[in-house]
Amino acid sequence: MSSSTESKQSTKDCKDNLQLLMHLPMLSGLPMEPIKLLAYLCKRHVFRPGQTIFRQEEVDANAYLILSGKARLLLEEPQEIALVEVGEMDFIGVLSLFCEMKRIYTLRAETEVVSLTLSREKFQKTLEQFPDVGPRIFEATARSIIRWETHFVREHLAKCPECRNHMGIPPT
Amino acid sequence: MITRRPLFYWVKTSNWKLQILLLILIAVGVAARVFPLEMQKRIVNQAIGLGKLNLLFLYCGLYLAAVFLASVIKFLINVIQTHLGQQTLARLRKELYAHILTLPMSFFRRTSSGMVVSALVTEVVSAGELVGQAIAVPINNILTLLAFTGFMFYLNPLLASLSLTIYPFILFSIPILQRRANVENKKRVDATRSLSSKVGETISGIHEVHGNGSYHIENRRFGELVQELLHIRVRWNVYRYAIKGLNNLFQNMGPFLLFIVGGYLAINGRFDLGALVAFLSAYEKLYDPWKELMEFYQTYQEASVSYRRLMEYFDEQPEFALTPPDREPYELAASIQVRDLSFSVAPRVHLLQKVSFDLEPGQSMAVVGFSGSGKSTLVHCIGQLYRYSGGSVKFGGHEVFELTKQDVVRNAGIVAQTPYIFDGTIKENLRYACEAIYDSGKEGDAPRLPSLDEMIEVIQQVGLFMDVLRFGLNTVIEEDEDRELHERIIRIRYRFQSEFGEILGDDIEFFDIKRYLIFSSVASNLTFGTAQQDPFKSENLSRNHYFLWFLEESRLKQPLLELGRDAALQTMDILGKIVPDALFFEQSPMEPDEFEDYTILSQKLQTSSTEELGGAEQAMLLKLALRFVAGVHTTGELQPGLQDSVVQARREFRDQIQADHPEAFSFYRMSGYLPSLSILDNILFGRSRMDIPGAQERIAKSLMQLLIEEDLLERIVEVGMDFRVGPKGDRLSGGQRQKLAIARTFLKNSPLLILDEATSALDNASQKRIQGVLESRWKGRSTIIAVAHRLDTIRNYDKIAVMKAGKIVEMGAFDELLERKGILYELVHGVKTEY
Repeated sequence: MSSSTESKQSTKDCKDNLQLLMHLPMLSGLPMEPIKLLAYLCKRHVFRPGQTIFRQEEVDANAYLILSGKARLLLEEPQEIALVEVGEMDFIGVLSLFCEMKRIYTLRAETEVVSLTLSREKFQKTLEQFPDVGPRIFEATARSIIRWETHFVREHLAKCPECRNHMGIPPT
Repeated sequence: MITRRPLFYWVKTSNWKLQILLLILIAVGVAARVFPLEMQKRIVNQAIGLGKLNLLFLYCGLYLAAVFLASVIKFLINVIQTHLGQQTLARLRKELYAHILTLPMSFFRRTSSGMVVSALVTEVVSAGELVGQAIAVPINNILTLLAFTGFMFYLNPLLASLSLTIYPFILFSIPILQRRANVENKKRVDATRSLSSKVGETISGIHEVHGNGSYHIENRRFGELVQELLHIRVRWNVYRYAIKGLNNLFQNMGPFLLFIVGGYLAINGRFDLGALVAFLSAYEKLYDPWKELMEFYQTYQEASVSYRRLMEYFDEQPEFALTPPDREPYELAASIQVRDLSFSVAPRVHLLQKVSFDLEPGQSMAVVGFSGSGKSTLVHCIGQLYRYSGGSVKFGGHEVFELTKQDVVRNAGIVAQTPYIFDGTIKENLRYACEAIYDSGKEGDAPRLPSLDEMIEVIQQVGLFMDVLRFGLNTVIEEDEDRELHERIIRIRYRFQSEFGEILGDDIEFFDIKRYLIFSSVASNLTFGTAQQDPFKSENLSRNHYFLWFLEESRLKQPLLELGRDAALQTMDILGKIVPDALFFEQSPMEPDEFEDYTILSQKLQTSSTEELGGAEQAMLLKLALRFVAGVHTTGELQPGLQDSVVQARREFRDQIQADHPEAFSFYRMSGYLPSLSILDNILFGRSRMDIPGAQERIAKSLMQLLIEEDLLERIVEVGMDFRVGPKGDRLSGGQRQKLAIARTFLKNSPLLILDEATSALDNASQKRIQGVLESRWKGRSTIIAVAHRLDTIRNYDKIAVMKAGKIVEMGAFDELLERKGILYELVHGVKTEY
């Protein structure tokens, strides 16, 4: 990367970040002030092809909004299984913004990946500043989990009869 | 116990020497206040009346002396009172804090830290300060009252008793009014609350108001509440002013009585004029002690109520004695015998039921089971964190709840599930547990602290070594500290460039004189060196006339002012409405403590251009611009054109300043040490790129070998141990915090080691490493009880206890339990039969 392209990472980026974040389901409908703060706090990171962005079973306190490039989610343990490919505007690892957790999957860059990275600390400090925003983000997140689970049930119920015994309630 | 002490205990145990001194001063002070009255009388009667000048001077002199003395004594009384009050406050705080720390864990589950903070910071204040006044104020004022009334009686008993007749009326009527005022005050608080909740409700539902056009409904509802509040506030204030008025009326009626009766007596020649003047003064002087007494009474009432409530809150017994009263702490052999152990938090809520097992010294046991099965509770009971409610736990043959805290901490080390790291350095945190054992608080009992080698060994064991190394590499070592160290670092720089310059080229931005450095500040880019003289230090550059002249000459000043302006305005735009927190300033060249100043400046910038600003204001903008790091700061934008101009000006600056101030800077040269840059920047002769994740790790790994060969590794790790971890250790990651907690417990080398899911935040490799250390270095030497959250780490424990619903349902060696095909088998093979 040449120096002139990097230097653009400033005001313009901050405004771009704002545009990007505004359209995320998790943040849509929020007042401008908190989104502006989050847009400013996000950092751009460049991952090389083949680089692991986060690894299964490791604790990583970031969420990544992929701006360009392709990456793949995979399971490394017990053996490597490739899962879905993710790309532009996919927001990965959102739940780690809410609590410390170990990654369930590995995310590996397949091409050069530029991501907008938000850390849990910054996210949570932002929520502290805007107390009435928290509940709305939780609601949006819960909704996306419900959507995801609905989809999951629909897809797996037919294919996996064994799963029926413990679908619907979280394991202890 | 502190919480059972009445408020007067603190008076009784306060510094009696000071209290007695206070009493003496009060007595003298009262005399010194009555004395001028007598002088007054004599000045009027004897000096003026008889026309004797020498007496006038004498009495006036004495009057002045008495007034002076009274003021000095009043001041001394206040000083002593403050001393007494603040001493008591400090004592009260310390003792209450010591008490609170020993309270059982269960207490802190239902108490917020905010409650403890407000108790120790604000609520004790009124009680503490009262103690300073408790003796002085009532005695002083009662004595003063008595003295003045006595003096009045001495002057004229009739007038005196006449003027005192009004006090019973005051004593009778004011409390009645006060009670009414209190009632209204309570109503006022309630009404204010409902008013604000109404406003809150309406604003949250504003879209409904707009949607229905129901403005008039909301206005009416709000209006009713406001109207009610208005009435209450009027009544409340009327009572308050009535009290004031009544008090004043009575006080002012006094002189009326005195004039009419005293005047009558004086005309009849039965009372002299001087006495009447003195009498009036004495009467007026009654007012102050009276008022102070009333105020003291109120303060006393309030303080004793809040003191009682405060102490009631913390009125709980510690569960364990802290130190053995009559012996040295035990050195225990870590055998553990648990018999029928049960722990209940409420009747019929049993977290543990009839748990029994034995461990010989050196044996290890893993506790596994579903979450909520009582694993943590079990180890907490053994580690004396909870007081079990039934059965027995014997540690080295002693019942655990009969041991003192000192006995337990000397013989057991506990790593908590979510360990707490204190603000301070890594080294301080590593030493924390060891320090606590040997530093009993007694004098001459110096803590025996672990050596540097021991600490390095243990951070290697837990896998924190690389992190500490990185902290060390990122440290700036003070100038001129160590020439030899500088030389070694420069040697490593050359080797690093030749061996890794190519491979790690993408991770590092080298100090290349022909390129703009994205990860360095504008100032460093321009000067390309570090200042050796104060006026040229980066924080002073924006006010340095020579530097400003150079900026002007090289046509950089205006663009930099604009950059500073953008940075200031954008920071304000984003952070203007929130509480400044250091984290929010990472991406702005502004510092949190400068926020206020720039708020004012940015208001001015709304209407003025940068040229119109004064010199000091321009300097503020330049300061931001010079600090601006293009790759880090996102408020403001550094145009490529400006970058090129800065690079061009770099050489001019160097030539110019070497001619004019040759000593001012040391420039970036491959062959010289760069003071005020970190060790890492010095070795790299550049900066590691912050936008490339993993860059620092790759660099540190590559550096390891070079550091070992130059015998610098330990030195830098030692520097890294002084890294400050921040409040709650928040500059560390969750994994680093957990590793640090394990390391500090390892350092204790205790016969019993309790690990409560101690590696839950660690990645697999780190978990395996620590498990390996446990098996190779600890097994057989110390007794280990580990609550395990992963089943692949438990294979080599002597015993596995499988817990379910507060009971141990299976116990035995790993293979033995697998063969039995019971619950462990199901857990291991992921077959779950029930929830």
